[in-house]
Amino acid sequence: MVAIECLCVLIMSWVKALGSSEDVFDENADDISLQSKEWKYNMEKRAKDGFRDGINAGKEASLQAGFNQGYRAGALRMKAVGQLKGTASALQIWCQLQDPGSPAAASVSSLLQCVVQHEERIEAAMKRAQERPIPSVGDVSEDLANLGVGLTPEQGCGRTDCCKEDTDCSSSHSSCSTLLHSHPAGQSLEELLRWCMSIVVELGLPEGLLHHLQQIRKEFFRLCVRTFMKI
Amino acid sequence: MSMTDENDDLFDSVLMADDRFRIEGYREGFEEGTRRGMIEGHNHGMIHGAKLSSEVSFYYGFAMTWKYLLQKNTHGKARKRLKAVEVLGDLIQKFPHEPQHENLQEDVERIRAKFRQVCSLLNVPMNFCDYVHGSGSQDF
Repeated sequence: MVAIECLCVLIMSWVKALGSSEDVFDENADDISLQSKEWKYNMEKRAKDGFRDGINAGKEASLQAGFNQGYRAGALRMKAVGQLKGTASALQIWCQLQDPGSPAAASVSSLLQCVVQHEERIEAAMKRAQERPIPSVGDVSEDLANLGVGLTPEQGCGRTDCCKEDTDCSSSHSSCSTLLHSHPAGQSLEELLRWCMSIVVELGLPEGLLHHLQQIRKEFFRLCVRTFMKI
Repeated sequence: MSMTDENDDLFDSVLMADDRFRIEGYREGFEEGTRRGMIEGHNHGMIHGAKLSSEVSFYYGFAMTWKYLLQKNTHGKARKRLKAVEVLGDLIQKFPHEPQHENLQEDVERIRAKFRQVCSLLNVPMNFCDYVHGSGSQDF
């Protein structure tokens, strides 16, 4: 309502000015400019109020959809590493029951430790994304890449170091087949899976276990390809 | 156009200006809010989905591995263990990773209970179960 009054005053001052004399601008210039400034200020305030209400309404309308989408993505992201952690844990218990002091038991333990670290790195990346301020539109794809979801063709699934956060481990790749080798932290999931497979082979464990690990690997590859295509 | 119509139009535009600026602001704000809500919701949902999936996937890998390790043995006790890990595996395969799944809480509790049963059948030390539960479980 303030704006309407303001505009009315403005129009009235115009009408008055046109009706009275020719050198209106000298007499009323300051007044008109002041009215016009006030009008502009009031309209900007209206726009700002609308913007603020719009932001809240837009957020409310989209939060659940965003949550659902993120939930599914997070669940898919953790599937392979979670399954490998469960596998390595079962193998660790099995090895300890068979022969607690064996080199195989030590190797399985260090594999499990690396898998746990791998999982922690993914979780940490997700937490970082949550704590970071909302990026502008152009930064969104970069954000996804930091989560290890985005893959560029050079870093993509054609190679063994499947996800971006794991690129620091490619140098340790050649040592994967060595059962007793103590692996440094930072292997890719692909490397950890192969390490686990080599342990299964060297311990002469049932063939089905290899299929189980290959299944995890296959699903993980499919996820990598799919997320890459999305971006 | 008559003088009265012109005056009406002018009067309307004065009245409408107030709303027009507000509506334009609202529209822009809604767009920005939608984008922010999607990102915030996504980041938040991702952590929840990841947490639960990490726990449930762990159980699945654990169950499948024991399934293959136990398949060699066919005596009574091993068969009972095998049955339990197979049931656990089936429960997890049927579990949908949907945030708005109706029986989410019940299904997760059923899976956790089955896992604890598997651990006890396999004589897995309790501190192992604690470690798993402490690191993987979550409140809803």
